[in-house]
Amino acid sequence: MKDVPTILRLRNVTKWFGGLKAVDSVTIDFRERKITGLIGPNGAGKTTLFNLINGFLRPDSGEIYYRNIRIDHLMPWEIAKLGIGRLFQDVRIFRKLTVLENVLTGKPSHPGEALTPLLFSLHKVRKIEAHLLDEAHHWIEFVGLTGKEHAPAESLSYGQQKLLSLARLLVGGYDLLLLDEPTAGVNPVMAGKILDIIKKMVTEEGKTVIFIEHNMNVVVEIADWVYFLDEGKLAGMGRPQDILGDVNVRKAYLGI
Amino acid sequence: MNYLLHLFIMISIYSILAMSINIITGYAGLLSLAHAAFYGIGAYTTTLMMIKLGINFFPALICGIIVTGLLSLAIGYPSLKLKGDYFVLTTIGFQIIIFSILYNWISLTRGPYGIPGIPRPSLLGHEVSSLPEYFVFSLIIALVVFIFVRLLANSPFSRALRAMRDDELAASAMGKDVFRLKICSIMVGSSLAAIAGALYATYVTYIDPTSFTLDESIFILTLLLVGGSGNLRGPIVGAIFMVLLPEALRFIGLPDTIAPNVRQIIYGLLLIILMRYRPQGLAGEYRFE
Amino acid sequence: MLLQFIANGIVNGAIFAILALGFGLVYNTTHTFHIAYAAIYTTAAYCCYTLYRIAGLPLLISILGGLISGVILGCIIELLVYRPLVKRDAPLSVALISSIGVYIIVINIIALIYGNETKILIPGIQKTYQLGSVILTQIQVIELIIGIVVCIAYSLLLRTTNFGKLIRALADNPNLLSAFGVDIYHLRLQVFALSSLLASIAACLVALDVGIDPYVGMPAMLISAVSMIVGGVGIFVSPALGGLLLGIIQSLAIWKISARWQDLVTFAILIIFLLLRPQGIMGRRRRLEEL
Repeated sequence: MKDVPTILRLRNVTKWFGGLKAVDSVTIDFRERKITGLIGPNGAGKTTLFNLINGFLRPDSGEIYYRNIRIDHLMPWEIAKLGIGRLFQDVRIFRKLTVLENVLTGKPSHPGEALTPLLFSLHKVRKIEAHLLDEAHHWIEFVGLTGKEHAPAESLSYGQQKLLSLARLLVGGYDLLLLDEPTAGVNPVMAGKILDIIKKMVTEEGKTVIFIEHNMNVVVEIADWVYFLDEGKLAGMGRPQDILGDVNVRKAYLGI
Repeated sequence: MNYLLHLFIMISIYSILAMSINIITGYAGLLSLAHAAFYGIGAYTTTLMMIKLGINFFPALICGIIVTGLLSLAIGYPSLKLKGDYFVLTTIGFQIIIFSILYNWISLTRGPYGIPGIPRPSLLGHEVSSLPEYFVFSLIIALVVFIFVRLLANSPFSRALRAMRDDELAASAMGKDVFRLKICSIMVGSSLAAIAGALYATYVTYIDPTSFTLDESIFILTLLLVGGSGNLRGPIVGAIFMVLLPEALRFIGLPDTIAPNVRQIIYGLLLIILMRYRPQGLAGEYRFE
Repeated sequence: MLLQFIANGIVNGAIFAILALGFGLVYNTTHTFHIAYAAIYTTAAYCCYTLYRIAGLPLLISILGGLISGVILGCIIELLVYRPLVKRDAPLSVALISSIGVYIIVINIIALIYGNETKILIPGIQKTYQLGSVILTQIQVIELIIGIVVCIAYSLLLRTTNFGKLIRALADNPNLLSAFGVDIYHLRLQVFALSSLLASIAACLVALDVGIDPYVGMPAMLISAVSMIVGGVGIFVSPALGGLLLGIIQSLAIWKISARWQDLVTFAILIIFLLLRPQGIMGRRRRLEEL
């Protein structure tokens, strides 16, 4: 693993919530073009870690580097434009927008979203929009939501909304994908579909994936490497089959 | 016939106000009670440019738009830091402060005495003085505003605004600069309100601060909610409905002494009933729920 | 001269304190921006006026009638307007807009019945008391005393009674309270009743002091909101502190600048607090982590 480049580096990242250390001096190197799993009991700090990487939270100490650029003090939209995309545990689709509009918003750098290009380079904006429409239709078809383009997103079932959020993420062209419980709340068929998409993203598109999961079968199936978090600290790491046999992991999850 | 023209002119003016607050409240999702302040700043700036500096209508209008747009930062900046109720309270504060300035800075605005004798606009030497001419003039301006708003409404910009409205956190993770979006939507919305102000000033040829109170802000918001927000039709339907409602009441014989109060009671009832049973208003798309 | 202004400011502050406590009570427990508070204020004042000046009833009975009317209206508003929205889990903006609707309806009904002119309850010159260089009217002294009494009583209510404990729990975690079997809706009703009582007390006092017109409610509600922000949201007694301070600051503004700019000063203070210290004077900095 030593010769694989690092795409995301966390250095002694710490985050306090009141008197509680949600993330405690975490140092991790995430390898490019790999699928890395983050596991740990509830409240271990996994989603907080994602929020820190994303820019929703600022670390109280430590640094975060994305491709050697320091990102821990940047705004979430700046981080997205650098190439980091996020899938949320609670889906978070744009409820009043249509399925198509949801996917169209997934592109982080669209000139038509600013007033000046809109007013003075309308022709160029229209061309980019036409391109984007093609891409959007491609990803909607990819996740199997064809025919629902003009339905309001809130009219979709939970599983469909999850697929929608995936399509919205994929259109963004991100190099690093942060997936928070990608298969939670969906039936096994759908889950299998999502995992196939994730694997394809890495093997065919060269993306990097970091995911949080509670379902150990998923972890074993797709993860190249796993980090185990407990009470905000990095408490273990290794290959999936190794980490699951780890005594500390079992203690934390099963209390034995 | 003259009265009919007057009604249509008021519908044009209120359509512009409704479309402009729709950008801030309907698309960007920022509930604002400051819109009458922007309406007033536009009216007063255009008026003062025309009367005190002798500038023509269109350059004065541009000044009005610029001044209003700049002053809108006074609620634009707080919108980045304050959410929900706190932001609404800020807009109320801004509204009251602006009214206070318009009312009390007598050396600038003549305060409660108002500014009379505002000239009608003149285009290429011809003054738009008669009522039918002003009707066409206001209609054209409202149409231009509509075309501009339609361009915005169908653009990626509006999509980004609505995404931010629906889920600010998710939108920011998708690369949407929510700070820039909020400031832009407030600047555009307020600048368009300034146009309505300029129209109102040159139509009535007299302005005073009592047209730009907190009550007027509430009226404009009611207009938007009744007609419906989040799309293009709603604001215009709202403007037509709210301008014509008093006429309908007069038509059924309601005495003029009690008409203003009855009208207000109807507005209040509309708000409550709509919020309860039809939050998208008469023709809107976005439901505050 | 300055002392007189400060004294006036403290008296006004006492009224603002009572008002702000009522507004803050509703906001802290239900997170409703209770614009209809203005309607309750106006109704109580007009009811007192009607009983005293039109029906000729004794003053204390009229005041009691005013208080009762305010409380009844407050409860009706909660039952008919807010509660259905809460049950539907409607967002706060919907409640705010409905609140505006209620305010508009009530004050226009009052304007229809009574007209727009100012009505005086106690005509003629009032009895005055002199303390050093400060002169206060009888009603001003009463306002001050009642302000102090209300603040102390409210404080005791919160700290010592079961109701007080329940309210503080409601503000903290309504779901948990509900899980313990407490009827949230009944509690809310009691909150609105108490809040309306406070508004009505202030309304009747001010009505007796300077008279009323249909539009006095909105400024009263706004000053309550500003006092709450300045004092500190989330703490039950801090709005009273905010109210007192605002009363004094307003008076000082009149003394130094002019009465005309009173509103501007008040709302400039609001905006300064919202931007620089949104938790108010007594509030603790909440770590709002989102951006």
